[in-house]
Amino acid sequence: MRQPLLDSRNFTAAFMSAPALVGLLLFVAVPFLFAVALSFTNLRLGSPLPLEWMGFEQYRRIFSDPSFVRALLNNLVFVVVVVPLQTVLALVLALLLNRRFYGTTWFRTLFFMPVVFPLSLVAVVWVLIFAPGPNGMMNAFLDLVSLGSWTPRDFLHDPYFALPAIMLTSIWQGTGFQMVILLAGLQAVPAELYEAAAIDGAGRRQQFWHITLPQLRNTLIFVVLVTTILAFRLFDQVQIMTQGGPYDASTTVMFETVEAAFARQQVARGAAMTVILFLVVLLITWLQRRVARQEREVT
Amino acid sequence: MTHRLFVPMIYLCLLLFGLLFISPIGFMLAGSLKPDARVLVEAGDWRAFWPAGVTLDNYRDVFARVDFARYLLNSLFINGMIVGAGLLVNSLAGYAFARLLWRGRELLFGLVLAVMIIPLEAIAVPLFYMVSLVGWRDTYLVQILPFIANAFSVYLFYTYFIGLPRELEEAARIDGAGVLRTYFSIILPNAKPVFATVAILTFLSQWGAFLWPLMVTSSETVRPLPLAIATFHSLPPLQWGDILAFGVMMVLPILVVFLLFQRWFVRGVAHTGIKG
Amino acid sequence: MWKYLLIGSLALVIGCSDQQDHQSPDLAVLMVWAHAGQAAERKVLEQQVKRFNSLQTEIQVQLTFIPEQSYNAQVQAAAVAGELPDMLEFDGPFLYNYVWQGHLEPLDKLLSAKLQEELLPSIQKQGHYLGKFYAVGTFDSGLGLYARRSALKDSGVQIPSGPDNAWTDDEFATVLAALASRDPDGRVLDLKLNYSGEWFTYAFSPLLQSAGGDLIDRNDYQSAEGVLNSPQSVRAMKALQHWFTRGYIDSNVDDAAFVSGRVALSWAGHWEYSRYAEALGSDLALLPLPDLGKGSRTGQGSWVWGITKHSKNPQAVVRLLEFLLQPNEVLVMAAANGAVPATRTAIARSPLYGDKEPLQLFTRQLQGGFSVPRPQTPAYPVITSAFQQAFIDIRNGGDIQNALDKAAAEIDQDIRDNKGYPQVD
Repeated sequence: MRQPLLDSRNFTAAFMSAPALVGLLLFVAVPFLFAVALSFTNLRLGSPLPLEWMGFEQYRRIFSDPSFVRALLNNLVFVVVVVPLQTVLALVLALLLNRRFYGTTWFRTLFFMPVVFPLSLVAVVWVLIFAPGPNGMMNAFLDLVSLGSWTPRDFLHDPYFALPAIMLTSIWQGTGFQMVILLAGLQAVPAELYEAAAIDGAGRRQQFWHITLPQLRNTLIFVVLVTTILAFRLFDQVQIMTQGGPYDASTTVMFETVEAAFARQQVARGAAMTVILFLVVLLITWLQRRVARQEREVT
Repeated sequence: MTHRLFVPMIYLCLLLFGLLFISPIGFMLAGSLKPDARVLVEAGDWRAFWPAGVTLDNYRDVFARVDFARYLLNSLFINGMIVGAGLLVNSLAGYAFARLLWRGRELLFGLVLAVMIIPLEAIAVPLFYMVSLVGWRDTYLVQILPFIANAFSVYLFYTYFIGLPRELEEAARIDGAGVLRTYFSIILPNAKPVFATVAILTFLSQWGAFLWPLMVTSSETVRPLPLAIATFHSLPPLQWGDILAFGVMMVLPILVVFLLFQRWFVRGVAHTGIKG
Repeated sequence: MWKYLLIGSLALVIGCSDQQDHQSPDLAVLMVWAHAGQAAERKVLEQQVKRFNSLQTEIQVQLTFIPEQSYNAQVQAAAVAGELPDMLEFDGPFLYNYVWQGHLEPLDKLLSAKLQEELLPSIQKQGHYLGKFYAVGTFDSGLGLYARRSALKDSGVQIPSGPDNAWTDDEFATVLAALASRDPDGRVLDLKLNYSGEWFTYAFSPLLQSAGGDLIDRNDYQSAEGVLNSPQSVRAMKALQHWFTRGYIDSNVDDAAFVSGRVALSWAGHWEYSRYAEALGSDLALLPLPDLGKGSRTGQGSWVWGITKHSKNPQAVVRLLEFLLQPNEVLVMAAANGAVPATRTAIARSPLYGDKEPLQLFTRQLQGGFSVPRPQTPAYPVITSAFQQAFIDIRNGGDIQNALDKAAAEIDQDIRDNKGYPQVD
């Protein structure tokens, strides 16, 4: 980090940073501390009974609730499947588009289009695509590519397909965004590196492994981190497409939280769940920073 | 691999992926132009993408069934305010952190970074409780104010400003300009890409906002579009043609804006901390 | 400069949201929340409010429709904020919870005794809690099996004449099998799976009661254990799951399974009558739900109106309520949604509910003891949420005992957490 300009006018600095800092304090830090505090009580929305201190009871309960454990697990599965798949797909698309020939702009636009779809709209449209019966689009498509050996399924009510169905919608919506960022990263790779490698007789594959990937490292880390955190916040599609079913096959931490806090008015329980969510995100961020730092030391 | 086949291969791959990506959109567009009853019946073959006997009835229905313009204006207003105010507030903070030396800077910047990983979802419940207690429920304000200050935006501005050559400001300082004037007259014009990027990122993350408005709003006078589509979806009678028409109308204006500003976005991303 | 712009525009927003408070003093503005139900129902209510507003000059009613899916959550959120409307519509069984939370104003002294006596017994019963009357509906609900008469005839099955000789479990299975054998995809029964939320409790908890089970022990409303997961309840849900596993159920994604002719039977409420009658004409038959041993049982109760404690002007709200309960207005609504009219005078004049009329089954069910009110306890929101979850698991083929055990445990936990829902003043 470079030395900042020497300027000791504390007042100016405070004036400039105050709106953002106050906002973050009021709307992020305070509510978060509030959540931690609530999670140790029995607060229920609208209850006329007095508030009671419960200690770790809410935490004990949510961890002995199979639905919540399943939700955590689903989030993890979602991350483990979607993050690599989506990143690889985005990278492939970015590589395909990172050259000058007719039509790249069109294709880039095309792949980016789903990004501007709000997730709630994506979910509604895909409910239709996943319609059960041979007339459903996904069923018909799978029937076509499997040359007729596919038996139609009710994806969103099938314990094996509900979560994958949601994953697919997420990938469809999110890949374009990653692609654009990776594309920007690719275009920032100095062309001289490739020229030098070509002179040394390196093939395309070698160039990819020894120049492109190392140069993209930071971009990739960013993309993976953002996608991972987003994966833990999964809610909209679950709410609209499956309501967490069947038997919790597609429930997520956020869905369980909202169910607890709103459908069942158990605000304290919801708060405990959000604290867990925060801890998980914290852990992942920390892990990813560590991995990133180690790689930096290696290369 | 022979060079002659390389480009056709790429085209083939792109076409294949392109078809997969565009088919849901094509389906939506075609479905929005057909009578309700045919949307599902024809979803299983090529007719899913082909609206034989085009009708605009669904679009007419949407206008008849909900106040679409109201929802759209709500969304535009809320997002416009968040983006506009956010750009100002967060860039000022980013600048103060990057370029000014002041007491508490390191500590506060560390806190900003820490706050960055708290997702809205993790604070939604208590935040909801707080805004309810102060009576902000069901207003525009409650959908705007909490989202103006954004740690990630501050961070993006910070990384961009710290990379700007210091000579820019030194010249201004010699002329005797104060910090704020330097900021507005020297830094702003040189920081268009990062403003574009932050604007677009903020817009994208807020445009689809669903959970929060679901919690804090109840009347359609302040509800944004994403809630409208979910409501519309659950509003009997279920008419898929109408729902798809609603979807098209909801996404079209944004799509146009993005097609226009796409280049800016790509350029902006390439210039900010995002790409590493 | 930018900053002032920002502050200015924020002030503008705050100002705008406050505007509604500054009304002229002699005009009472009533905020009314209603659920966004069937299109016809919404339209009638809008027109009724418009009529009411134009009939007099002292009261102006502002109507807000809230999506049904998150209705209770919205009410709770508004209650925390102290922003409940003057008049609130809500699904009948939520009444007890709202009373417990202290949101509702008793109607006993507000509504005239004459009008109270006019109401159907089922509506009076549902609106009473701990000796006071809190909510009134302009209609009650009816639930039954709509059938395509010709399809039943072709399959050679006997059509029940009324709720006292409904199909037994075995007979119903035979009917489904017979219908399925003549159906191209074998899916012959529509359970309105496109709905969600309260529908599952409303429509399928009667099966529990018909088999001798229930949602909760109604002696003291303190436990679901041994009732919701009793062998009788399990048997009821087994029958239901059987229909799914045999492939009889149409998923009804387009909400057109019955009107398009894909299925011959539709398990649905009064609100589908006009649409079905229009599609099928005289081929439409209305039958009682199957009898799983203790007689056919069906749902009752519908959306009702209550006055919130928040209202500064309950007298004005009563005038709106009395207007909505006039025979003409009740009949307009009943004609639009096919519901059972709430007052005796209206029923007597109804073209659909009199003797030998097409929907007479619904009145017979309500008056003959075939309909069961949903549990009258503040624990209802949790009971219904738990049962809905169990229903979803069961419909997807999950283990029934497990699903019901889980639901019962959750309900009991909630009741314990609330110390048995003692009355708090």
